[in-house]
Amino acid sequence: MSLVLPLFLFALCTFGLTAALLAAGVLFGPRRSTRVKEMPYESGMNPIHDTRRRFDIRFHLVAIAFLVFDVELLFVYPWAVAARHPEGVDAAIGAGDVVSRDLVFGGVMVFLVLLVVGLIYDWRKGVFRWR
Amino acid sequence: MLLEALIKIAILIGGLMTAAAYLVLVERWMAAWIQGRIGPNRVGVPLTRIRLFGLGQPIADGLKFILKEEYVPAHVDKWLYYLAPMAILTAALAAFAVIPFGSVLPPDVSFPGGEEPIQLVVAPGIDVGMLYVFALSSMAIYGVTLGGWASNNKYSFLGGLRSSAQLIAYEIPLGLGILGVVLMTGSLRLEEIIGAQAQSGLWFAFSQPLGLLVFSVAACAEAGRLPFDLPEAEQELVGGYHTEYAGMKLMMYLVGEFLHMITAAFLIVILFFGGWHLWGVTGSSNDVNWFQAIARILVLVTKILLVVLLFMLVRWSWPRFRFDQLMALAWKVMLPLGLVHLFTMAVLSEYAERWAGGAAPWVIVGVGWLVAVAACLVAGTLTAVSTGNQAIRE
Repeated sequence: MSLVLPLFLFALCTFGLTAALLAAGVLFGPRRSTRVKEMPYESGMNPIHDTRRRFDIRFHLVAIAFLVFDVELLFVYPWAVAARHPEGVDAAIGAGDVVSRDLVFGGVMVFLVLLVVGLIYDWRKGVFRWR
Repeated sequence: MLLEALIKIAILIGGLMTAAAYLVLVERWMAAWIQGRIGPNRVGVPLTRIRLFGLGQPIADGLKFILKEEYVPAHVDKWLYYLAPMAILTAALAAFAVIPFGSVLPPDVSFPGGEEPIQLVVAPGIDVGMLYVFALSSMAIYGVTLGGWASNNKYSFLGGLRSSAQLIAYEIPLGLGILGVVLMTGSLRLEEIIGAQAQSGLWFAFSQPLGLLVFSVAACAEAGRLPFDLPEAEQELVGGYHTEYAGMKLMMYLVGEFLHMITAAFLIVILFFGGWHLWGVTGSSNDVNWFQAIARILVLVTKILLVVLLFMLVRWSWPRFRFDQLMALAWKVMLPLGLVHLFTMAVLSEYAERWAGGAAPWVIVGVGWLVAVAACLVAGTLTAVSTGNQAIRE
């Protein structure tokens, strides 16, 4: 607990600072609102239509691709740490949980090759084509 | 313990806010220098004729921001509208909880609790350090997306959309770039990553040039600096996601963005340029005297300043990408390059020591550079067409 306490303390301090900054703006800033000021600023045109409109499907595709690759990368991190760490793969071999380093390495390589296959599939399907 | 943490937090937040304010001034000087103007050099001590090279400018700017009109357009979603700038600034600052801003201070028994060396990081001993930084820098996307959505303005909405697509696209190369470093050190703690480089004396910039390239480009894109500043794109989108923001709220956005650049500089220096380490000056163990402790802080700050200056130089000398070029760079260039880097470093970290024995560092450096040059050449030749400026027709 004492290890992560500073993290929460820092988050609390930064949150307090941002709240104080906002409050300073609200307290000291003048307010002279007019009807024109309250309109959305769209380069002087009178705004037409609603802003909440349908948007391009490609943003959605990018989001899905991000989700796939980012989560798969997160699975690589534990191995990246364990490969060198004294309490990692070597300790597991010593305890008899893992047969050999080569097997672990081979497993991770298979995982990464699957990631590359996914990338090639996305590429061929035109997910990254932006015209 | 608690007091120590609070003192560090106060130093860090104060230092960062001051640094952000004065780096804006430095950036304006640099812009003026590049564009052949004089730049801000007037504001000094008020009510006198003392100018101090414009050093009063950041204070005057801050006061101006506070006294600006607090105006909230009628059509916005009030809660999210106020929450967005808070999210971006909180996330940008809180990431520094695990980033070391020096090495250690030597123990001093003359005050209570000073028997142990004081680590110059707010939360020492957090095992997931690097992941925590990533998690919080991803939180910044919320600030941008929420701001664009809540403003209820078409330009803001487009800026927010573009920005979220850009930020998530470059998150992946960012993660790939550091995997090589993590593989070589076996730790996600930033202190240990610096320690490993100080022990061997071989900074990761020399052994992993491809990782440095991928990481710096991605970090630049995450910070939204100029070759990648499509979220704002003044000439196309008025101001992007912060079109409807003014006064203090706008300042929070701008400071948050600037802090992202400082975070990026910190990470580049710590991961690839040895952090506080400099050969023959700072030593490499955790036993320090006062001279070394001060020297380490100065070395770290100097390196970070150099990287920030490089970011500024890039900003004022390069034009903006087009959006399809930006996405192609992320998915078709940086992601494959990052994967090549990951495969190379995985094989090297697993087999270099077993096969090459004592010559392992030289093998790693040699293969690292060879793969980097080859991969860049291949990527450059394969994507030459798509970086042209003709319209793409199908």
